[in-house]
Amino acid sequence: MNEASANTIAPRPRSGTGIWLDQHLYSLVSSLGRVLQRPWTTLLTIGVMAVALALPLGLGLSLANLQQFAGNVEQSRAMDLFLAPGTSPGRAQAVAVELRGRSDVASVEVRTPEQGLADLRERSGLGQALDALEENPLPTLLVVTPRGDVPQLASALENLPEAGLLQHDAAWRQRLQGWLGFGQRLAWVLAALFGLGALLVVGNTVRLDIQARREEIGVLQLLGATDGFIRRPFIYLGAWYGIAAGALALGLVVVAARALGQPLQALAASYGSSFALGGLDLLRAVLFLLAATIIGWVGAWLVTGHFLRQTRPTET
Amino acid sequence: MTVLRFENVSKQYPGGHEALADVSFEVAQGEMLFVTGHSGAGKSTLLKLIHLSERPSRGAVLFGGRNLLKVRGGRVPLHRREIGVVYQDHRLLTERSVGENVALPLILRGDRRADIGKRVREVLARMGLGHREQALPSQLSAGEQQRVGIARAIVGEPRLLVADEPTGNLDPTLAAEIMSLFASMPERGTSVLVVSHDLALIKRMKKRVLILDHGRLMDDISPEDLAE
Repeated sequence: MNEASANTIAPRPRSGTGIWLDQHLYSLVSSLGRVLQRPWTTLLTIGVMAVALALPLGLGLSLANLQQFAGNVEQSRAMDLFLAPGTSPGRAQAVAVELRGRSDVASVEVRTPEQGLADLRERSGLGQALDALEENPLPTLLVVTPRGDVPQLASALENLPEAGLLQHDAAWRQRLQGWLGFGQRLAWVLAALFGLGALLVVGNTVRLDIQARREEIGVLQLLGATDGFIRRPFIYLGAWYGIAAGALALGLVVVAARALGQPLQALAASYGSSFALGGLDLLRAVLFLLAATIIGWVGAWLVTGHFLRQTRPTET
Repeated sequence: MTVLRFENVSKQYPGGHEALADVSFEVAQGEMLFVTGHSGAGKSTLLKLIHLSERPSRGAVLFGGRNLLKVRGGRVPLHRREIGVVYQDHRLLTERSVGENVALPLILRGDRRADIGKRVREVLARMGLGHREQALPSQLSAGEQQRVGIARAIVGEPRLLVADEPTGNLDPTLAAEIMSLFASMPERGTSVLVVSHDLALIKRMKKRVLILDHGRLMDDISPEDLAE
């Protein structure tokens, strides 16, 4: 061994932020190295997490599309109020004005018997038969688009003295809304369950990693490593798993949407609809990635916290 | 100036086993001393109390005037950074290079990367390991591994260096070299406490010796008395 060197190097004083950043960088790089060192373990963990995350994401995306479809239906939720035969055009206009003044009515369109007959002639192909009629049997129609409580408005319209027949499909719409609400809740429940599953997957992987590095952690603790220093690489490891699994889940959903989109569009076209499967916008994709990263982060944080509490020096 | 003081320290483990009983002694700054005794004498417990892996059941351990009973939770790592420990089984991180192992105390302390590199190279050169910086511990001999452990313990220039049977695995020549290195530490202001049962080595070093037996401090022999 050499004799002691006379010129020892005195460390220059550093700011707390500098030390903090340096140690985070150290943890970030070492955790990334850890991920790359064990490709199979990493791939398996990320794969399981990605599938768990893709399922609620796919369901959520399907519901969003269904809601968009339902929104279109909602837009055509107007009520048809046929006025009693003999209601004069002037009275019909007066009723329309009165209805427009209601807070639960978005708009009222008046369709005269003449317009109705012209429509019927055009759509039904019964022009000659209609010509044989001596007088127009059609009543004045008020097309009322509701705003707010539909059943209450329907009841009010039916009770108008001028009302003849009210046609609307509130029950069907209510059922659709009910199913959509249930589907949305189901998507959230599944997201919570699968999110918890993903969290447990990360937690278990990190736990195994901690077990494998138990001795190293013990040495670091003996050398004076704080809980934060020991925890940090594992938390970054969880975050890496989360972000990679989130990206893979997004990829899986995009591939599935592409696979289903074309046949669905063809199916919709056969019903005369131009419905097309919509994808995930950039903001939602980023939010999803963020959520996946947080899941990985939290899973690792919980497991390392538990481990550190167990290995803390005795306080008695 | 006193670096370490044990004041009537007892340690009783759950189950009733008393590992230390009413032990009192002081270590001055820049002093080197040995602690010896048979297996089960309480040597390991004494080290654990200094290092805050355990806490005394009675009495007080003071380090730099600070009562270690009052050092709790998040302050424990800071206390440990003031002490360099050399273990008989080295406790090196097997997946990290020699340089990275030695750098750990400085990284934990938050030194600059450039300063760490220089300091690590300097200490490794002192240990005769300048050419082994990139090697993994598994590529080193037992003696080299022990020197890496020592390098890691002294790299941060701790106030107290504690060595637990540091020459247990080494041949006599290397053991003597390491002891002479320890003997040079007090010149740099570091106190050295060596736990050893190698009586021949202890006699050769002519330093103060604490003798433990069944948890009791049986004797505190000064260098002068040892010479006689």
